[in-house]
Amino acid sequence: MPENSVGSRSQILGRIQTALKKPSPSLPEVALPPIFAAVNNPLERFQQECALIQVECVLTSDLAGSRAAIEKTLGSVPAGEVFLQDAPELKKIAEGWSVQRPLRWSSQGPPPETTQATVTLAEALVALTGSVLTSAACGGRGASIVPDCHIVLAKAEQIVPDLETALAQVVERGTAKTNSYVGLITGSSRTADIEKILVLGAHGPRRLVVIVQKQS
Amino acid sequence: MSAAAQDFLRRAAEKSADLLHRQTIRRGIDSYDAAVGRGRSRFSDWQAARERAFRIKQEAVSHLDQYLLRFEQNIQARGGHVFWAADAAEARNYVLDLAQRKQVKRIVKSKSMVTEEIHLNETLEKSGLEVWETDLGEYIVQLRNEPPYHIVTPAMHLTRTQIADLFQQKIGGVTSDDPPGLVAIARRKLRQAFFSADMGISGANFLVADAGMVALNTNEGNGRLCTTLPRIHVVMAGIEKVIPRLQDLATLWPVLATSGTGQHLTSYCTLIGGRRAAGEVDGPEEFHVVLLDNGRSELLADPEQREVLHCIRCGACLNACPIFRNVGGHAYGTTYQGPIGSVLTPHLRGLEFSHLSFASSLCGACTETCPVKINLHHHLLENRRDAIAAGARPWTERMAFRVWRWVMASAARFRFFGWLGKTGLRMVNALGLTGTALDPLRKWSKYRVPPELPAASFRQIWKESYAGK
Repeated sequence: MPENSVGSRSQILGRIQTALKKPSPSLPEVALPPIFAAVNNPLERFQQECALIQVECVLTSDLAGSRAAIEKTLGSVPAGEVFLQDAPELKKIAEGWSVQRPLRWSSQGPPPETTQATVTLAEALVALTGSVLTSAACGGRGASIVPDCHIVLAKAEQIVPDLETALAQVVERGTAKTNSYVGLITGSSRTADIEKILVLGAHGPRRLVVIVQKQS
Repeated sequence: MSAAAQDFLRRAAEKSADLLHRQTIRRGIDSYDAAVGRGRSRFSDWQAARERAFRIKQEAVSHLDQYLLRFEQNIQARGGHVFWAADAAEARNYVLDLAQRKQVKRIVKSKSMVTEEIHLNETLEKSGLEVWETDLGEYIVQLRNEPPYHIVTPAMHLTRTQIADLFQQKIGGVTSDDPPGLVAIARRKLRQAFFSADMGISGANFLVADAGMVALNTNEGNGRLCTTLPRIHVVMAGIEKVIPRLQDLATLWPVLATSGTGQHLTSYCTLIGGRRAAGEVDGPEEFHVVLLDNGRSELLADPEQREVLHCIRCGACLNACPIFRNVGGHAYGTTYQGPIGSVLTPHLRGLEFSHLSFASSLCGACTETCPVKINLHHHLLENRRDAIAAGARPWTERMAFRVWRWVMASAARFRFFGWLGKTGLRMVNALGLTGTALDPLRKWSKYRVPPELPAASFRQIWKESYAGK
């Protein structure tokens, strides 16, 4: 069906407009209290939250430290290709490392089904919930969902206290406008559909590793 | 009594006497209750969170046309297609026609109750398309050829042993019934489907008007794969899913996750604005959103019931409901089960489902737990009133209430019939006829020991001990 063919658009809108002629009761303006307590120490809180949802959080102090942390993580991942976001920081890390695996950069196409691990950057980290904010710019959509292990490299100053700040930043920086995908990832892929028992790695990553680098 | 009502009573009687079913549901809901308790305690003010969520949805629903138009405009600006479907048939035909025109063979689906509502899978499969449900619970019930048992946890009624037997029979290679092994079997099978599918169909948790994005939450990540790998992505959503602003998700995401599973946030809170944009690594070539009315605008036209459109399908009212806990999800015979289903179904499918308004003790647990503050048990009461006004109740019930009113309107008649009832019941019990066809209270006493009848009535006790003092 061509773009201009829109089904029963005018009929549905007409019914909605007729229905809304009977107004809903107006609500009195009230000042509602915040729904979460303020986050005081974002870095510490982020680490605590990660522990609660089985996310491996590694703190490093510089690029060399981050390189070592990625090498160590990849050392425990089964043999196979590694996919990396084509970003200057990650290029710099891969230049001097000891990893002996086939690499695929995001500029060469999306990660194939057999990808064991991916390494990407993040838009932000959310302290309140231990979440990683990603977008299509972070190596694409598949980078954070196709592999068995997703490694995220982020700077400590990327940590925002809560969801409100994270979403305000998405609006302010135009992230939602320039990306067809924006995703808040809180823990690895999981299911409790069998007898409410938690199992990690339902369809996507079994492991989510977040490397927080203190200095740029 | 409608055929649907008779089926409901039969299934409810069967399920409430099924001990394995009772045990499975109790275990599931107990673990849910514990998780939700922990989840709510993470909020500094859960009631304020409910009030915020309620206000966001109220604003959206009471300006529904404006927010839908803004959403449509933003989706189209990114190159997406928006199709407005007045009813189930129009929505089904759009997806089928699209699939056929684009030579689609295999479809992967992320969990979506609205596609259950319009019976999309049957239509697609009849036309020779292969449809894979990819949420683990949905996949399990699809293999069993049955509808989801619960809005959020579709396979809640099954034990690991039953699932292991099912997988062995349908897939093979089952070595034990431990959940990680079963999940691994489904993962292997479903990844083949993900990587070879031509079309992904998802629902939507929210349609964000100002950003022009569809918010989709999944824990398993199946929603992510469905919207990343196939070349076409179709979103099916009810018109009531629209919300005004991206920032509203700072309230709605944690409120939905907490009420749905007790989590702080669902693992993948995903926003999709359209097809793969220029310069992006991956994503579909085409993006379609189907906005479905299917009775929702009629609900909107009733200011008394309008707030039912606030529902975010978290499933909390099902888990809280003493009726659901006893009869289970399949007894309802509806797409949406539990209190929200009992409120909604007579509007979506007609008065032959008005019996569901009576499948409630009116205890109000649903209303108390609802994260968007829908006054569920009051709506059940309103539906009862409407069903009676429409003559949808049996004449025996109407007669019974007429007689009851006549008896209650006079002290003498009340005294006489009270005496008659008591004496009659004493005789029935004394003759050992309790629970038989001659027992007027047989529906109650069939499964229960009848209570001891007091020697004196309240009126006698009052007269002898208190009157005039």
